[in-house]
Amino acid sequence: MIKGGFAGKILIVDLTHGMITEKKLDDELAERFIGGLGICFKLAADYIPPGCGPLAPENAIILGVGPLVGTSLPSTSRVFAVSRLPSSNTLGWCGAGGVDFGCQLKNAGYDHIVILGKADRPVYLSLVAGRVEIQDAGHLWGRGVEDTCETLWQEYPHPAGVLAIGQGGENGVVFSMAFIDRIATLGRGGLGAVMGSKNLKAILVRGKKGIRVSDRREYKQLITPFLRQIREYPHLKEWQRMGMIKSFPYVSTDIYQKIRKRRIACVSCPIGCKDAVEIADGDYQGTTICSSSVINLFIPVIYGLEDYRESIRLVHLLDGYGLDTFEFFGVLKFAQVLQEKGLVPPSDLDGEIDLLSLASLETWAERIALRQGFGATLADGFTGMINRYGTETKQYAPALVKGMHPYTGPGSALPWDLFGTMELGQILDPRGPHVGSGGSPTYFARRPLAVFYKHFERMGIPKNAFDRIIVGHSPETHQLKVGRLLKYSHSWFGLLGSMGICVRAQINRFYHAELCAGFYEAVTGIPTTVQDLRERVNRIWTLYRMLNLRDDSGNRAAENIPEQWLRSGGFKEYVTEQPLNRTAIIEMIGDYYDEWGWDRLTGVPPEQLRHSLDL
Amino acid sequence: MEAYSIHVFEANCTFCRRCQLGCSNAYTREFNQNTANIRIEVSGLTCSITFSDDCRKCGICVDHCFYGALQKVAKEAA
Repeated sequence: MIKGGFAGKILIVDLTHGMITEKKLDDELAERFIGGLGICFKLAADYIPPGCGPLAPENAIILGVGPLVGTSLPSTSRVFAVSRLPSSNTLGWCGAGGVDFGCQLKNAGYDHIVILGKADRPVYLSLVAGRVEIQDAGHLWGRGVEDTCETLWQEYPHPAGVLAIGQGGENGVVFSMAFIDRIATLGRGGLGAVMGSKNLKAILVRGKKGIRVSDRREYKQLITPFLRQIREYPHLKEWQRMGMIKSFPYVSTDIYQKIRKRRIACVSCPIGCKDAVEIADGDYQGTTICSSSVINLFIPVIYGLEDYRESIRLVHLLDGYGLDTFEFFGVLKFAQVLQEKGLVPPSDLDGEIDLLSLASLETWAERIALRQGFGATLADGFTGMINRYGTETKQYAPALVKGMHPYTGPGSALPWDLFGTMELGQILDPRGPHVGSGGSPTYFARRPLAVFYKHFERMGIPKNAFDRIIVGHSPETHQLKVGRLLKYSHSWFGLLGSMGICVRAQINRFYHAELCAGFYEAVTGIPTTVQDLRERVNRIWTLYRMLNLRDDSGNRAAENIPEQWLRSGGFKEYVTEQPLNRTAIIEMIGDYYDEWGWDRLTGVPPEQLRHSLDL
Repeated sequence: MEAYSIHVFEANCTFCRRCQLGCSNAYTREFNQNTANIRIEVSGLTCSITFSDDCRKCGICVDHCFYGALQKVAKEAA
């Protein structure tokens, strides 16, 4: 029986009929799917019909937070959304740091929100002071993300949480995102467009209910040494001072110190990875921006924009429109090549694309977000452009997986060359490519395999799997089976996400599967061992797989290996650093399926496994 | 009787609200920002940190802060 952690209710909002209902989050659902991300997948199975289009009213948006959200456990603010996403046409998860929103959703009395149908006019959903209302959003429609959040905060001050879209989402740009509290990005893959298709501009949450834990004594016994461990971590202050710049030094420390205005943390987080910066000089002096990670502000620098101030300025604009910066640059580069090759009819061409000019980039950001002229074509993403200009254009596209541009790899924004779990995961997460360590030790390149074992234990990998992941009789002959390790990286991600713990490498490194089981039991009162968590995550991720197999969007054929990864200058094998070939990657994919207990060739979970997981 | 003087360094605050979670849990047996005796009023990129009249200055909020936004000084030493 649930005794703590969960708010205990699921809110169901039918925008078509203006109906608001709620149901109890029952014990069995919590026990079988842990919470947060896990329950989001189960609700997606219940509410998202097979075959529905991402932007059709039949698609649903499932939002959720885990049972630890709202407690004082470190970095437990994670928010997830699950929906069918337009960029990849997969049923996928979107995750973000919850800032205030995650905690406030619990305080408002709900663990999950299910959004169905389509409103007949722009609306926002308001969960304030115990009342749930569908409100008119006419005054918000057409506004950017920050403007929308600030407008709502004028009426409902902090710590009210706001999930909002910009003009990109309103206009169905397939790479538009939703933003939490104007900072955290939710929805690479087009969650913004899904919200826009429902005429849903924002969700506002402000509650007054507290979160209780089941066993206060056990909670205190577990958290006290855990907090001490984090506090005594020798690099903590450096993380807090430097943020993500410590890992990704795209600009100098001097520049970072010059622009840094404030570090911002999600509720309960001791790391504080989010940044508020202000341009200190030049044409855009005084421009301030809050970002989910300061490195996001310098993505345009990676793509060639030389002046970091112009880079910040551009990301400020893109965030306002609610567009994915990575996909924005990828699509523009592709369009530029097609223009040069003469593959875009002159009648479609209505402006030059100059990736090194801020003025040009600003113009295209606006034209894409507002679907003006050629911008409307770009707004349909890679798949839309290939469909419009013919399959022969595919040869000029960057590496694509499920219609999206991977973050890492040759030609991508992050040109990392070693093929670890995150790189393989760009193919094998059903949602399509994204960035995230999943807690795997391969996230930090060229780590000796000898240190992997302590991470295996931390991630709850069963001991009998260790020798399947690292094979060979001596350190000299050791081989890393990336596919098998990815299974456990996804498991760890699924576990953290279902509990509500942030997956950022800087914080998940402190968590341990044993500790997770202890915290989960202490908070919820649900008896839980590490083995229980393993079984529940197997259920969660296998269900996720099955949801995508329903529509063929997650089948083996969709999990294509980009040719660009195999060419000269492509990915290298993680340990030997030899060039990768297709056979090796196919072997990894088979290993991944096999480790889950799915069919090695097709990735289909066999009936016996589905039965044992009660799916 | 107040145990400590609590010194506030608002510029260091990241709005993580750990102080409020710790305070409310200690005195109401649940995590709830609304019932905490320490208040964080965020406005734009700044904040104001104040304490309710009921606050005993027990220092639990300081113990929960990771950012140096709060500091406790024993009354005897103050």
